[in-house]
Amino acid sequence: MEFVSPEGLRLDGRRPMEMRQIRAEIGVVAKADGSASFEMGNTKVIAAVYGPREVPNRSQQISDQALVRCEYSMANFSTGDRMRKPKGDRRSMEISLVIRQTMEACILTHLMPRSQIDIFVQVLQADGGTRSACINAATLALADAGIPMCDLITSCSAGYLNSTPLLDLNYVEDSAGGPDVTVGILSKSDKVTLLQMDSKLPMDIFENVMQLAIEGCKAVANYIREILLENTKQLEYRRGT
Amino acid sequence: MGSSGASGDLSGEMEVDAFRRLFPLRFYERHLLESVRPDARPLGRARDTTVALGAVATADGSAMAKIGCTTMLAAIKLEVMTPPLDSSDEGSVAIDFHMPPICSPIVRPGRPAEVAPVVSKQLSDAIISSGMINLKELSLVSGKAAWMAYLDIYCLDADGALFDAALLAAVAAFSHLQIPAVTVNDDGRVVIMSGENEEGKLLKDPVNKEKRKLTLTCIPFSLTCILHKNYILADPTAEEESVMETPVTVVLDSSSRLVSLYKPGGPVLAYMSAVQDCVALTRQRVKELQKILSDAISDMEVD
Repeated sequence: MEFVSPEGLRLDGRRPMEMRQIRAEIGVVAKADGSASFEMGNTKVIAAVYGPREVPNRSQQISDQALVRCEYSMANFSTGDRMRKPKGDRRSMEISLVIRQTMEACILTHLMPRSQIDIFVQVLQADGGTRSACINAATLALADAGIPMCDLITSCSAGYLNSTPLLDLNYVEDSAGGPDVTVGILSKSDKVTLLQMDSKLPMDIFENVMQLAIEGCKAVANYIREILLENTKQLEYRRGT
Repeated sequence: MGSSGASGDLSGEMEVDAFRRLFPLRFYERHLLESVRPDARPLGRARDTTVALGAVATADGSAMAKIGCTTMLAAIKLEVMTPPLDSSDEGSVAIDFHMPPICSPIVRPGRPAEVAPVVSKQLSDAIISSGMINLKELSLVSGKAAWMAYLDIYCLDADGALFDAALLAAVAAFSHLQIPAVTVNDDGRVVIMSGENEEGKLLKDPVNKEKRKLTLTCIPFSLTCILHKNYILADPTAEEESVMETPVTVVLDSSSRLVSLYKPGGPVLAYMSAVQDCVALTRQRVKELQKILSDAISDMEVD
């Protein structure tokens, strides 16, 4: 099947180096300490952060840092066919672990000992790149909750089909069987915290694809910074300063 | 902080927020004496309600309903099933209500909300017993194939009156539902018809020629009220529900017939007059909700 037409257009009309349209909103869940919704094309996720709060199980609390927990779940209607088991299955547990470890890299946990920070991510519509959208939404939600972080983590995926590196794969391109590289970086310090790849790829092409994904992450980081700035201006305005 | 005198009116001596946390009942009673609530609503008024249809593009029918901050997302997915022998010309509806951990600080991954299965059952009962959906419309080939409609409702923000918002979202999703055009292919399997005609495959006439909507009669709407001493508060927030623990939920249909009445215990024992007042408040609310729903439907049709 042809994923990149001879004119250089993908199945949804994008160019190979073009990301899908991103849209983010802060403060969507009133009851949460911090929350955000993030859309990358047709993939829509909501992240909510509760914390720092007391650890319910005293034996699990850590005396010198905060405990970070994450749960990823997909709505029954988020994929094409209705899902029977939206959480607790292997894929969801793996993604929960990945998101938790990625976010732990940037949260300054030593500032909040003996407490717990819960990050919950709910996927409402899945069209490829859910992992990346969840990490981006979690970053925004943590910022909304005022949890101290050393940097913003953003994530994007890239692949290689029909001998062309493609940025931000959607579901059809992802399930084509080609390689799928997901990268998460700390935007200011340019360090990689998440790197996952499946399928086979020669080393030199891998470097190109990874570089492309990093460019995508930087674009998302710029957008996230704009959103946060706009949100702060709104808060200032409402406070009347 | 002032000293806690026996009959002390401490409100003058500490901040409002602290008083609200420490003495929630007295905080509310001070407001109820003036017939108003902390968010400046009169006792009988519900919060601002909005309904948006078609919130989930991948589902056959979907809606998002917001009552104040309480947000519900409902989506319907249709699957083909074989109907059981005793109702061979009827389809079926399965209703499920989920409270994911994002919605509220009291829901944690290992400890699901106690209220979720309760609301799920209430919703199931209300929708099926109201007779809103004619199950015969969900039949495809009598005895062989029928639609199973899976309705999933996700609470995205839990701020009181969960049942009302969930019912509104469910009803709106059914109003938005479009049954796809299908045909039975050679193997006897039901396939969804795509736009182009494929030669040789359509041996029988299509079972539905085009997308169609369900005809809904007797649409149920509800209102939850909280009873406290002799006050009746309509559409409580989560804080009000936790402080004053006697909810009464009344479900009426569009012709103001009583579909269901639910008063699960609580410290206040109500006289019939209180229940009738709740029903009267619900009747007013039904008119508001009908208007909101029909506006949302006509907005969709204009697009």
